[in-house]
Amino acid sequence: MAEKTCPVRKTVIYLSEQIASGLLTDPKGRRISEQILHLTEEIAEGAGGAKHLSAIDSLIEEYFDDKSPLQNRDTGKILKGIINKHREVFVSHVETKNCPSHDCGKLAPSPCQMACPAGIDIPTYLSLIAEGKDAQAIEVIRRDNPFPWVCGLICTRPCEMMCVRARIDTPVAIKFLKAFAAERAMSDRAYKNPGKKDFNGKKVCVVGAGPGGLSAAYYLAMMGYGVKVIEALPVPGGMIMVGIPRYRLPREVIDREVAMIEELGVQISYNTRFGKDITFKELKLEGYNAFFIAIGAHKAWDMGIKGEKKFPKVIDAVKFLKDVALGDHHAPGKHVVVIGGGNVAIDAARTSLRLGAQKVSIAYRRSRTQMPADIEEVEQAEEEGIEFAFLTIPKEIVGENDMITGLDCVKAELIKKKGSDRLAPVPILGKDFTIKADAVISAIGQYVDHEGMQAFDQMNWTRRGTIEVNHASMETTMPGVFAAGDAVSGPATVIEAIGGGKRAAEAIDRHLNNIPQPRMPKLPIRYNIESPIEISASRKMTLKHPEMPMLNVDRRRTMFQQVELGYDEESVRKEAARCLRCDICRRCGKCVEVCRDKMGIDALEFGYMDFDNPTQTDFRATSEKCITCGACAANCENKAIVIEETDGQRMLKLCGTILNKQDIQYCEECNAILPSIEYLQFISQKTGNVTKAIENRLLCNNCQRKLSAKINVETRPVNLK
Amino acid sequence: MQFQRGDKIEVYKKSKDEAWELYMDDFVGSHGIITDPDTTINDPDALIEVSLDGKGTHRLPQDSLKPVDQP
Repeated sequence: MAEKTCPVRKTVIYLSEQIASGLLTDPKGRRISEQILHLTEEIAEGAGGAKHLSAIDSLIEEYFDDKSPLQNRDTGKILKGIINKHREVFVSHVETKNCPSHDCGKLAPSPCQMACPAGIDIPTYLSLIAEGKDAQAIEVIRRDNPFPWVCGLICTRPCEMMCVRARIDTPVAIKFLKAFAAERAMSDRAYKNPGKKDFNGKKVCVVGAGPGGLSAAYYLAMMGYGVKVIEALPVPGGMIMVGIPRYRLPREVIDREVAMIEELGVQISYNTRFGKDITFKELKLEGYNAFFIAIGAHKAWDMGIKGEKKFPKVIDAVKFLKDVALGDHHAPGKHVVVIGGGNVAIDAARTSLRLGAQKVSIAYRRSRTQMPADIEEVEQAEEEGIEFAFLTIPKEIVGENDMITGLDCVKAELIKKKGSDRLAPVPILGKDFTIKADAVISAIGQYVDHEGMQAFDQMNWTRRGTIEVNHASMETTMPGVFAAGDAVSGPATVIEAIGGGKRAAEAIDRHLNNIPQPRMPKLPIRYNIESPIEISASRKMTLKHPEMPMLNVDRRRTMFQQVELGYDEESVRKEAARCLRCDICRRCGKCVEVCRDKMGIDALEFGYMDFDNPTQTDFRATSEKCITCGACAANCENKAIVIEETDGQRMLKLCGTILNKQDIQYCEECNAILPSIEYLQFISQKTGNVTKAIENRLLCNNCQRKLSAKINVETRPVNLK
Repeated sequence: MQFQRGDKIEVYKKSKDEAWELYMDDFVGSHGIITDPDTTINDPDALIEVSLDGKGTHRLPQDSLKPVDQP
């Protein structure tokens, strides 16, 4: 068996083979093995409970009773070895109902859920949204992410990158469906906190009220901890409040979701800088048992060009966006040049435009295809009239007195440097030019501000200037101090910070209860498997990703009103129904192989099942060739593909998608249900002239046998002589 | 190698970078998609976000990754 086979599955196979082989001759050993097999099968199917593993441990000890024969002891040793070595995997199967190796088929996770750094159970909440159960969908999301509305508007959506539907046409709009459900649930007053545990007498201090800090605070409060959040800014949200402009993420969205966290008793101390307004020592005296640092990465890198420190109108984008978010709505200048190619550069440029700048340009030293900013953000900026100067290297900010007059640049070309296969921008001699400017905004990256962190004197910092942690637990090198978010990863994504905050909350709980930390980050939890929605193959194939309605460009150039207006309800329900339910079908391809190679039918055109090289998929093609033999369904371990007979019809369904539908035929003699005509013809071809005499009649096997026997007696009697 | 969002990659070796943790050894041989490249300064030294098929989303050093050739 391959070394990488899941140890739970390995145990099931080992015990099944041992029992089937007949080698376990001792009745007691056989009984113990059968009981362990039963318990392990339940764990492999997601039905294992908290006591399953301890029950298996006890049963294994029974193999070693005084009078046990050697065969029992040998079996016990092997099982003990597997479980002791892989105990964490067994526990993970019980707790998360997730088998990432796909060996325990029913627990194979969906790629979108595995891709989400917070591990949200996406197929479950998409199903709920498709059915119009928005509040229930939000309840599912908030088990892993207390900011569904925020993430519904600004998440970088790694889930959509891994969405299997993209191998057919376009990914499901997972991000915005979440925003719709959150808005609807909030509007209906159905967006509620789940019940929290009673106060357990322990307190945790969180430094930073950004997405990471507040996520940790939320989960700690739910577990019964007293939580205080220290925040240097006068507002909550950290970078999502002061780094992301309001036209992408309205402030009210953050306020409403933060209010839900405060409702759990989380205290946020605003305008309180750690190390200055309050010290580590003071907090220790207040009785905090653990600390969680989520201070973000708010310091901007210098550009290192001439004139950078000379003019007051050279602004860093982080400070600029923060000032605007906190109420300073003065335009930085009439002709603004933003330097950089990431999302922050785009945000600074679009914000400048909304504040009244007449012309805004973005200077980026590489080409358009290498811009790290989201393509949608770049396109929206272009629609609004932002100009892009690609392959442009800034050399010097020039001006007179305190006033900037321009940005001297040189044109670049991308060349592979010696010893590297990476294209680097290299200045082209003599290709100098000046971009007219009276304000220059730098957006070339941020780093973590260490100021005030000296109190955490046993905490290590990485060579990248970030806090060193063990990513399985987010624990720093200082006992009782945990960290996550941009302070650990460097400038990264909101959903990563949320995932890190959640992971840290669990680790803090373990730390304060003397439970060992896990070896690797916990797998996403599969909370539920919603029944798939029944939908025809042609509808499943023809549902299209809806266009996002946008605010008109004139208003976008002048106001901070939300640009993406959101889908209407009908579009949302349809879009959610495009989900392929990869939490049920693990895309093993066995159905395709059986249909093509064993039955010779080749009716299943499921090209999307190949991750690296997807080919054509068309669910509609199945009905053209399918004979409803049921071979695919019989070989599907997960029951993702099934044959159902209801209301006089036989349907072949893949996760709710009806691939083939036929009227059920009945035996002309006894009225028994018959296989499809196509299947009978298929069998007839295989059995040749044996059934020739009755081929034009619809008969069940029994009646066919009787009739064949009668015909044979009459036409082909056995000659006994 | 400069990675772009959406590039298909393989974790083809362990990295000697300090950010490489022991549990990441399990990722070697996995295929995945770049979900968040170094978003600011195209730094080859930056840790980039990768979604690995069946392994989850992680930030890994770029020297452990290579592109998977498209057909």
